[in-house]
Amino acid sequence: MPTQIISVLVEDEAGSLTRMSGMFSRRGINIHSLTVSPSEKEGMSRMTIVTTGDEREIEKVEKQLNKLIEIVKVNILDKNTSVVRDLCLLKVYADKENRAEVIEIANAFKSNIVDISIRTITLEIAADPRDIDRFVELMKNFGIKELFRTGVTAISRDVEKKSGG
Amino acid sequence: MTEELKGTEIIVKCLKEENVKNIFGFPGGQLIPLYDRLYDETDIRSILVRHEQGAAHAADGYARASGDPGVCMATSGPGATNLVTGLLNATMDSIPVVAFTAQVPTKAIGTDAFQEADTFGITMPITKHNFLVKSTDMLSWTIKGAFKIANTGRKGAVVIDLPNDVQQKTSKEYYRGEIKFTGYNPNIVPNPLQLKRIAQKLVEAERPLILAGGGVIQANASDDLRTLAEYLGAGVATTLMGKGVIPENHPLSLGMIGMHGRLCANRMINNCDVLLAIGCRFSDRATGWSLESFAPDAIKIHCDIDSSELNKNILVDFPLVGDAKLVIRDLIKFIKKYEDVKKDTNIWGKRVNQLHNMCEECEVVKCRGDSLTPEVIIKEINKFLDDNAIVTTEVGQNQMFAAHYYVTKKPRQFISSGGLGTMGFGFPAAIGAKVAKPEKQVLDIAGDGSFIMVCQELATAMTENIPVVVAILNNSYLGMVRQWQELFWDKRYSKTKLGTIPDFVKLAESFGAYGERVEKVSDIRNSLKNAFDSGVVSVLDFKVESETNILPMVPPGGKIDEMIGVERCRHK
Ligand SMILES: Cc1ncc(C[n+]2csc(CCOP(=O)(O)OP(=O)(O)O)c2C)c(N)n1
Ligand SMILES: [Mg+2]
Repeated sequence: MPTQIISVLVEDEAGSLTRMSGMFSRRGINIHSLTVSPSEKEGMSRMTIVTTGDEREIEKVEKQLNKLIEIVKVNILDKNTSVVRDLCLLKVYADKENRAEVIEIANAFKSNIVDISIRTITLEIAADPRDIDRFVELMKNFGIKELFRTGVTAISRDVEKKSGG
Repeated sequence: MTEELKGTEIIVKCLKEENVKNIFGFPGGQLIPLYDRLYDETDIRSILVRHEQGAAHAADGYARASGDPGVCMATSGPGATNLVTGLLNATMDSIPVVAFTAQVPTKAIGTDAFQEADTFGITMPITKHNFLVKSTDMLSWTIKGAFKIANTGRKGAVVIDLPNDVQQKTSKEYYRGEIKFTGYNPNIVPNPLQLKRIAQKLVEAERPLILAGGGVIQANASDDLRTLAEYLGAGVATTLMGKGVIPENHPLSLGMIGMHGRLCANRMINNCDVLLAIGCRFSDRATGWSLESFAPDAIKIHCDIDSSELNKNILVDFPLVGDAKLVIRDLIKFIKKYEDVKKDTNIWGKRVNQLHNMCEECEVVKCRGDSLTPEVIIKEINKFLDDNAIVTTEVGQNQMFAAHYYVTKKPRQFISSGGLGTMGFGFPAAIGAKVAKPEKQVLDIAGDGSFIMVCQELATAMTENIPVVVAILNNSYLGMVRQWQELFWDKRYSKTKLGTIPDFVKLAESFGAYGERVEKVSDIRNSLKNAFDSGVVSVLDFKVESETNILPMVPPGGKIDEMIGVERCRHK
């Protein structure tokens, strides 16, 4: 089942987050991740929701979201023309023996070291979620103590319109 | 700048501007301020129900009968939670209801104060929208917005939660003019290109069928629909909610489709070549269980005001968003442009009429001697009531017998709980309908199980002088569940036998209402006359055969046109 990224512009009203997430649970649709943050418009927030579903299912979700009074705009983002980011913080077991190896991989992924202790290294990576998935897979070899991900946020790229013709 | 007004004053001012004449409600501590304001109000009638569920259903029935939003109110905590069933009932059937619920003072919210309930959270998934008013300044904006949301687009229930202090404080804020919501702009104007394509398909159709739902009634488009049907020579089937869209004695009327639909209507769904569905949502009770075998060969057109209903349950060839009235009017305009429309629609029209008649024939009343059956009683009710009468129903066999046998002549005159199937809806809804239309005969076709759930409203009807008639088809069973147990569960009648308790006549009389027991066919007519002549709310206790079934029906898992119990139908 393909994952889908839905970007929603919503009025800042008490309860609008519950109303939105309630729609998903009521209709039996799973939310993989959800981020809420202020938007460029005053009084409005942007929610980025990752869910799974085929085209028809996503169309249904889109229509149901549009019905909610506080939701002003719903965009289904095309993964090919969008910038998609996730922020991950993870604490990996790394002692003297494998610390260098962990750091090497982290560097390859452009991940920053944010803390080091005798037995662990804490890394930060902001990237396309698929890259993070691969990064986390690799780090599993050393043992992951703790893992936090913020969930996906995404923005569509502006496609330059061809002039003339 | 306006004058400084108290919250309750603002509420009443808004209600008057929304043309509200009647409120159904029940008081309590946190609602005293609003009730106090209504104490000497002369332009708004405030009706005291005996249970808040009754208030919500009465407001719902009021809205269905009048076309205007119904209004109800309840106190905080248990008052608000008692409204819940009625609010969902209205929302499921797209009925405009505005509910005011009292709330503990804003400062006490979140402290588990006495009679505090998270009404906002509880009613969120069961209403079209809801509000918690946190400041008196926001009152007028919220109330006007609530009425707009309840009564536009696809209609539904809206809750306004009113903390005690918000009712009592004063404010200078009073919104005039239209309330706008950035994210709420129901699209009511149909797309002309799509309309044109649809018109073409309808003109080309050889066996067109219209399936009309409650949306057509809500849009007040019944007359237009009839014109369209006559123009096309199309048969008209309805959903339960659509009953009354076309007079059911009209030659093109086929009656209700669905699990308990009429055989001819169900057969026609799978025989038509173009299906035009308007203002309906293809609920599972209407389509049967197998969606693939619902009108498999037809070109399917679906017009609805709610775009989320299009392609939700049934995939269609031509979806169209729009208000039913605009859709139908535009379709007629487009169709009139086609020259070749003058083709002989008569052949098909005649065939539809043949089916219509055959259905009537097979519905000849089953009756042994003078003993009562639901069919006989409803046929007599048909003869007794005039063309403007309003019939409500409870839920169960009584509802389906009424749907089959009661011949509805006009829209807004058959009122029944469709989406939620709420036992106990019909009686309070009848009260609401009678308040909306005092000049009309109003009768609730009831079941014994359903009526006892709301019989306390006899007190409401007595004290408020609302003379509706309740006709109980008393089979001493939770009949519909018993029917399923009989047909599909080896006749194991687990907890469905109600027996002969209570004595409904004495029950009615204890309220000062009129009560009569009826046991013979020859007495039906007179009992109806007695009830309507009594001038007070009445209960007719019709003792019917206890184990009768409503047939034919589509068995669980079945296809729409494969019904059981069709032996009586000649054209099976
Ligand atoms: C509030 C509620 N509870 C339970 C049901 C399930 N139910 C559907 S029909 C029915 C039996 C109704 O009995 P009665 O009112 O006597 O009508 P009858 O079928 O006998 O005509 C029941 C229990 C329901 N629809 N509503
Ligand atoms: Mg019964």
